[in-house]
Amino acid sequence: MKISLNWIKDYVALEASVEELSRALTLLGLEVEQIIRTGAPQLDQVFVGEVLVRDKHPNADKLSVCQVDLGSAGGVKTIVCGAQNYTVGDRVPVALAGAVLPGNFVIKQSKIRGQLSDGMMCSAKELGVAEDADGLLILAGRPALGTPINAVLPAGDVVFDLEITPNRPDCQSHLGIARELAAWFKLPLIYPQEKFRGKVEGELHPELLRNVSVLSPEDCPLYTAHVIKGIKIGPSPAWLRERLTAVGLRPINNVVDVGNYVMLETGQPLHAFDARKLAGHQIVVRRAADGEKITTLDGKERTLSSRMLVIADAAQPVVIAGIMGGENSGVSADTTDLVLECAIFRRQTVRWTSKHLGLTSDSSYRYERGVDPHSALEAAYRAVDLILETAGGQVVGPAFQVGGDVPWKREIVVTHGYICDKLGFEIPAAEMRTALESLELTISREEPTDARGPAWTVTIPSWRDDLDRPIDLVEEVLRLYGTDKIPAAVVNSPGLIGDDDPVVLFNRRVTDYLVGHDFHECVSYTLRSSKEISTWVSQTAAVELALANPFVDDQSHLRPTIIMGLLESLKLNQSRGVPVTQLCEVGRVFIERNGQNYECAAAGFVIAEPVGERSWLKRTPADFYATKKHVVAIAAGAGIDLARAPLVPVTGSFYGWQEGHSAASGEMAHGWTARFGLLNLAMVRALGVEGKVFAGVFAILPEKLTGEGTRRRYADFSLMPAALRDFALVVDLAVQSDEVRKTLAKIARAAIGNAFALEHVEVFDVYQGQGLPEGKKSLAFSLVFRSAERTLTDDEVNAVGQKIQDEIAKSTPWQIRK
Amino acid sequence: MQATLTALVAKAQSDLAALKARPEFEAAKARLVGPNGELTALMKQMGAVPKDQRPAMGKLINETKTALQALLDAALGTIEAAELQAQLGPAVDPTLPSPDAGPGSYHPLTLVREEMCRILRKVGFTVADGPEVETEYYCFDALNTPADHPARDTQDSFFFPPTARFGNVSKHTPDEKYLLRTHTSSVQIRTMLKGAPPIRIVSPGRTYRRDTSDATHSANFHQLECLYVDKNVTVRDLKALLDYIFGSLLGKATKTRFRPHYFSYTEPSFEVDLSALHLPKVKKEWIEIGGCGMVDPSVFAGVGYDPEVWSGYAFGMGLERLAMLLYGIDDIRYFYQNDLRFLKQFA
Repeated sequence: MKISLNWIKDYVALEASVEELSRALTLLGLEVEQIIRTGAPQLDQVFVGEVLVRDKHPNADKLSVCQVDLGSAGGVKTIVCGAQNYTVGDRVPVALAGAVLPGNFVIKQSKIRGQLSDGMMCSAKELGVAEDADGLLILAGRPALGTPINAVLPAGDVVFDLEITPNRPDCQSHLGIARELAAWFKLPLIYPQEKFRGKVEGELHPELLRNVSVLSPEDCPLYTAHVIKGIKIGPSPAWLRERLTAVGLRPINNVVDVGNYVMLETGQPLHAFDARKLAGHQIVVRRAADGEKITTLDGKERTLSSRMLVIADAAQPVVIAGIMGGENSGVSADTTDLVLECAIFRRQTVRWTSKHLGLTSDSSYRYERGVDPHSALEAAYRAVDLILETAGGQVVGPAFQVGGDVPWKREIVVTHGYICDKLGFEIPAAEMRTALESLELTISREEPTDARGPAWTVTIPSWRDDLDRPIDLVEEVLRLYGTDKIPAAVVNSPGLIGDDDPVVLFNRRVTDYLVGHDFHECVSYTLRSSKEISTWVSQTAAVELALANPFVDDQSHLRPTIIMGLLESLKLNQSRGVPVTQLCEVGRVFIERNGQNYECAAAGFVIAEPVGERSWLKRTPADFYATKKHVVAIAAGAGIDLARAPLVPVTGSFYGWQEGHSAASGEMAHGWTARFGLLNLAMVRALGVEGKVFAGVFAILPEKLTGEGTRRRYADFSLMPAALRDFALVVDLAVQSDEVRKTLAKIARAAIGNAFALEHVEVFDVYQGQGLPEGKKSLAFSLVFRSAERTLTDDEVNAVGQKIQDEIAKSTPWQIRK
Repeated sequence: MQATLTALVAKAQSDLAALKARPEFEAAKARLVGPNGELTALMKQMGAVPKDQRPAMGKLINETKTALQALLDAALGTIEAAELQAQLGPAVDPTLPSPDAGPGSYHPLTLVREEMCRILRKVGFTVADGPEVETEYYCFDALNTPADHPARDTQDSFFFPPTARFGNVSKHTPDEKYLLRTHTSSVQIRTMLKGAPPIRIVSPGRTYRRDTSDATHSANFHQLECLYVDKNVTVRDLKALLDYIFGSLLGKATKTRFRPHYFSYTEPSFEVDLSALHLPKVKKEWIEIGGCGMVDPSVFAGVGYDPEVWSGYAFGMGLERLAMLLYGIDDIRYFYQNDLRFLKQFA
């Protein structure tokens, strides 16, 4: 909302500087977004002078030495001047020593080519009143000598562009802002003098307006129409044009300008019809018919629906209520008789209509936020006054009024003690009372209370619908007291027992792990493209994870995995020539299962081949087993032991992962899932990422994270020496090592019985090739035996070894490799 | 015999000095002092020595034995030293760079978030979490923002189709729509409904607005909010918290200012400005950093807390904005591009 300072000064005698005003507005809660200065700035030591003598400068061809009379402002002065456009007898602006012209140009007495000059005669540009100027500003009308120049130049204005919060529709007007400033500076608020005040001359004129009917009173609680006859459309007077221009409106004609002026003054939108153009001389306020059409002032045809309210004549809609008039019903150059509408429309109706038509206006903006129904007629009277003043004519017949019969009355009882308790510091009762009253919140009753200070019954004016409870008055008191005066204090922090949310603990643990293992933490957008999701996850996911109203096409879906964002970052770094290998991200993903989406806590990482990066020392490149290590650690951070979960190699149904080189574990049915290994080479290449990319992801339902791990229990361990035996088994290529390991452990335990313990079984060699049949591989295991009480003898260990060999031969398809 | 012994020592001295490896050494040791060695053979000749000469000769043999042992020890020492030396490669050039990538780095948004959480943890706030997919109730209605409220305009939201189902995001009423949360205030509602006052939480997290992305706006951004619920909580307490937070984070030279504002879920409401001219790239005196206020009584009533008994405050801010201020970052999009030249600056 743009507010002109000159305009505001009609209602409050402000003397504060622009800086002080800006601070006051800010602390009142009216955020100043911009300050725009127009016209002449304040110019001290610049006066009207008359050129008495103009002599050529003895030492410079283009300069003159003038005697200039400044009258009461210092008499005759000598001024050296380079302009050519003046003659003796012209009156011009003269800046004397001490003047500061725009651009911080300080005027001093000085010698110019040997001639003393007492100051400077000025151009319009030098005074800051024009962008460009040729020569001196010759003052028309021979103003008195020595007059301060600001009294002669067009007054400057300062326009404050304010952000008005939605709870303060009353501040969508100059009067509203003036009220706030008057309260702040403790000055009286001067309302405009109204002459008309609803007085009616003459009789009804049905040939101009026969009837007003409101068919949808819930959408239009008040409708008034004044009829003005015999006006003359023309340009507005200069003062009116200046004010509208200052706040960014284009002057149209006297009637339209008055409507806008009164709206900007009072906050009440108005609309003027040409009485001739109303078919049947009727106004009908009704819902539009579905599909009904109107061409609005901006020349666009709009299709209406039955949820929209229109002002219609006997034939058709002429205005979209509260939003914009029709092309053919408005005031034109030849209009002589007016119908002036001043109405209240339900804000929700205006808002809905405005939104669905994509059409907003200064009027709809105000109706959406709420216009005070109890001040509406005041605005109509004010508009009538100004129309009669600027366009002539006379009001005929009594005004039409439908609705508006619910009186306003609201009182809030609040105590001084309550306000102090909410604030946490004391403000004297008298000061609070003054603050409330300065906002026209009148105190109708004051009573002493048992507690501190009095209780007040505060009468709320109709334009402050936002004030409804005692707490609302706390804010009013504090606003006027000054939020910059809230006293400092130490933080009040009595102990509370609690821990961070388990998801927060998981995120922190996993991020610490990954960063500790040389990953760079990334943050990617949650919203991804449909194509990406159908390519990397599934068609179903691309359906289920879609937004209803994406803003841009490539951010239309929730991310089901963290990998896609990391690949994008890999690509970005590669394309910028930045060496990149290890990236990670921790955050939410959304996993679709059986038509339901689940929001999961998740972590993911990528390990890329260092493409094009040369190193003086070669390192072993990353592989599947590196990703396994990290995923096991991440899962452990969520309390999941991956070693106890079945691990399956991925097959074709797992999008995005390279078959035979990646694995999966966990099911969303159990609340978590993990994938890791090599990303599909072709898909990675198609994306434009160079080289092989290993990756891992882990996701878990937040409710599965409990935060408290199970307490560890210490187990005894033996101090006796171990006995080792190795077994190499020849198995089919497709057999997984863990299956063999588990079987071998089981056989070994059976062979030992209770004699001693099998401490450990682990694979230490995998071999295929020469010496083995086609389609076979050898898995070598190391078995560690130990007793808690004694050193094992070779004989007993050998006996167990024999039993194991016998059992393998008997019950497994595997051969012992000798 | 004496001459033989002297010769033996002299020969051993020259032989042992030439030895390079352990097997040669073992052979030489056996030859000299082993059971079939030369010294043993000489000792066996002791019987032939006249009795009166035996003590002198015995002494001489012992001296020879000691001398040989010393020579053997020295030779072994040399060999062992050579063996250890052989385990080393050539000397390193300590100025060569490590070929290993690293160290890793935390994202600047994580760093700022964790620092804020630490600061708040010190005064008793614990970190709360909640879903990013929310329902209209938790995001708006429970925060005193009804469906037709203009405040909903200012946070135009991403909605899901009515058919979308989220298995682990609970609805308050059956016909609510799902949307992406526009602020982390929804966590406050879930926390209040789940627990009982007093409450003191900080909820950082991702939030979403349907907005054009540019240097200072992102459709996807992060917020951090605090909620404090107790008895007799005042505006002054709120101001004290903000002074404490920003004094801790940005230094004692930082000032905060409240500007009256409007949020539907707090009354009174304020926007918070910071004065921190000592920070890099800060040119304006006052920089808007967040919003706050005293929890509106209607919010308490909505979650079943008696507004006559309980009072509280809430504060919220954008983490990107704070990180930009703190580190002097100009463009919000850098946070989401993950250029390593950006990320590594925070390692």
